[in-house]
Amino acid sequence: MSTPTLTDIDVEVTVTDRPDPPPPRGSGPIARRRRRGRARRRTWRTSRFAYALIAPAVVFMVLVHLLPAIGGLILSFKNLNTFTFSQLYGAPWAGLQNYRAILFDGSNPLHSGFFGAVENTVVYTFWTVGLTLSGGLAVALLVKRPMRGQKVVRALMLTPWIVPSYVVAVLWGFMWQSDVGIVNKVLVDYTHVLSDRPVWLLGPHTMWAIIIPSVWRGLPFAMLIFLAGLQAMPKDLYDAAAIDGAGAFRRFRYITLPLMRPLIAIQLLFGVIYSAYQFAIPYVMLGSNPGPDADLMMTLIVRQSFSNNLFGFGAAASTLLMLGMLVWVAVWYRAFRRDLEATS
Amino acid sequence: MRSKLTVVAWIATAAVGLIVAACGGSSGDKTTSSAQSSQPAALQKGSTIRLWVMNNGPQPVQDTKRIVQGFERQTGVNVDVELVGWDVQFDRIRNAAVSGGGPDVTQAGTTQVPFFAALNGFSDLNGRIKDIGGKGAYAPGIWQTTQLAGQNGTFAIPWFTEARAIYYRKDVLEKAGIDPATAFKDWDSFQQTLQTIKDKVPTIDGKPIAPFGSPGKKAFDLVHHVMPFVWDAGGAELSSDDKKSTIDSPQAEEGVNFMAGLIQKGLYDKSMLERDGTQVENQFKGGRLAVWIGGPWVLGSVGRTDDTTWVSDARKNVGVAPMPAGPSGKGFTFVGGSNLMMLKSTKHPNEAWALMKYLSGDAVQKEYANLMGMFPARLVPQKQVGETDPDHRAFYSAIQQGRTYAPIPQWAQIENAYKNRLGAILDSAAGQGKPYNQSSLAAQLHDAAQEADSLLSQTTG
Repeated sequence: MSTPTLTDIDVEVTVTDRPDPPPPRGSGPIARRRRRGRARRRTWRTSRFAYALIAPAVVFMVLVHLLPAIGGLILSFKNLNTFTFSQLYGAPWAGLQNYRAILFDGSNPLHSGFFGAVENTVVYTFWTVGLTLSGGLAVALLVKRPMRGQKVVRALMLTPWIVPSYVVAVLWGFMWQSDVGIVNKVLVDYTHVLSDRPVWLLGPHTMWAIIIPSVWRGLPFAMLIFLAGLQAMPKDLYDAAAIDGAGAFRRFRYITLPLMRPLIAIQLLFGVIYSAYQFAIPYVMLGSNPGPDADLMMTLIVRQSFSNNLFGFGAAASTLLMLGMLVWVAVWYRAFRRDLEATS
Repeated sequence: MRSKLTVVAWIATAAVGLIVAACGGSSGDKTTSSAQSSQPAALQKGSTIRLWVMNNGPQPVQDTKRIVQGFERQTGVNVDVELVGWDVQFDRIRNAAVSGGGPDVTQAGTTQVPFFAALNGFSDLNGRIKDIGGKGAYAPGIWQTTQLAGQNGTFAIPWFTEARAIYYRKDVLEKAGIDPATAFKDWDSFQQTLQTIKDKVPTIDGKPIAPFGSPGKKAFDLVHHVMPFVWDAGGAELSSDDKKSTIDSPQAEEGVNFMAGLIQKGLYDKSMLERDGTQVENQFKGGRLAVWIGGPWVLGSVGRTDDTTWVSDARKNVGVAPMPAGPSGKGFTFVGGSNLMMLKSTKHPNEAWALMKYLSGDAVQKEYANLMGMFPARLVPQKQVGETDPDHRAFYSAIQQGRTYAPIPQWAQIENAYKNRLGAILDSAAGQGKPYNQSSLAAQLHDAAQEADSLLSQTTG
């Protein structure tokens, strides 16, 4: 018999020294069921307070979100128009007709209107979210630096966020007016940056006329979140990188940005959804028909549903928008899953 | 303690459920009081009638309350006047008609009546109209706005009338050496007048003034501004049987092209296209426009010191002329206004009708028209107001030349479709968006016609 090695002994000890599990007190199906029942009652006793607390929210969510969403889905399969909309769920069944008209019927004016609105919404969302997040991060980096009056600057930076969207749209609507608006006064009359007065509220410029106020309003919130993230970052990482000779850009690229990824991810998720559902700013600034250059999905849906009584079309377009957002959430989750797991 | 909190939480859950359920209302409410009697009945003193009015003047609620005071004194019935803005009134009246939870009586735009009537939420007043003199007391075109094509019923009664006419600054025309009597006689003279103002009077009292301005797609009534030019050219909004859109006809194209051409020639201030109707009206009142097309309410506001949007030079130099005649030889204008409709859901149909009847009295119509700057809907007081002065005479003459749209339920939606396309056409003419030319104009009008045709083809099945 050869001399046992240390590893062999360990293994042997591990195996032989493990105590036998205590024999179960009854191992039949009835006993198992009893045990499960006891466990369930114990769980209910300990958790019922928590259930009671979240119950109002659950009931509210079901009534206010889930049921209307299901209702909207049903309406999208109905022939709802001027003559039938008062019947609502009793309106004649249309099958996939509304979806076919929107997606494939080139002779239907609603078809081109829908794709125009989709394109506008993508452009609006891209620029609004991109500028809000990059601007928010840039401003957060600036106001994080120690300076005199730092608190006052931070407080002032937050003011656009507390202005309601309605007021933002009305104010900017006046500011954009080509003849007396302050924007053209500054660009043309005071600074002579431009020689001609651009018309902001008509034609292709209209898109920028809604993007800029949206960024102006959304940027403070992004800044606030990024600032909180920046303040929580360990300073020794930056000190170590500085000692190793990393400049400001490299510190930002290799420390700040990776550590901020979870915050960027969350803001990206909500920013895209919020922008895709944007309604107040274009509606208040440009009316129910913002024109082909700035007609977003929501303005189109509201106009066709509530002005033209095409509720079936509106419900189908809403469903398609919701599906689009579900796809976005799936893509987002795939892209940022690791960041979420790292922070949990 | 914990169990008490649990109970409170469950009660909160139940409360949320009950509140939401209560918000749904009762379907029984819709039908309990829809019955109406054509027989005169004693009015229930102390009952309250809810009346929805829109922004008809500078002080719409106070003015209407003043008018109905006489009714309240005579009958002992209270009237609760509520303001519903023009921007939301369509949705709110429609929802009230469908849900049965609204006022007893509501004002409605004349072109909206057929749509509302088709909802089956408003009372047919055929059995009562003899109380106010029947249709003989109104001009045929105005009475037509109370009907629904294809149905034998009267779903509204005319309340007040308006038509569009040309407003101009007398001092600007004088400075430009233009005779107001011929300045707006036909399309050519209208255009020549604007050109002369542009050349000779770019400023007045040192302030810039544009020759002409009219709102674009932000105005809810854009179609009322453009259609008169289409009618002048011999065009129409729909075929005579109301089955097909004719907005893409050559005549309609000519009319729209005339208006768009004013923008291209620099006679029509394109910055007005960024504004809604009220904002452009205020530009005229504020002295920034020499010529503008508007309704009689502006004339009514000239003498009202509580309307502070006027600058003094504009206020004292207002002149009014009928719309210019086009190639057809006629100068059409849109004639509209508002009607009163009784909801089927009213619990006080007799009191509601008594209020409508009171508001249809000749003296009350005249008094209300004076306050709001509108014209009475009834023939006799309408003529009396029309004879007040030359400016009112111009409006009275415009009403006689006025046209309105087909009384079909889809009109409000068709008007929306036209509004969207006409707004885009005017934007193009202003150099914004697609380039403006004859073929782009034809394409836009063709799209408008196609959209209108699809709305006309809506069925109940």
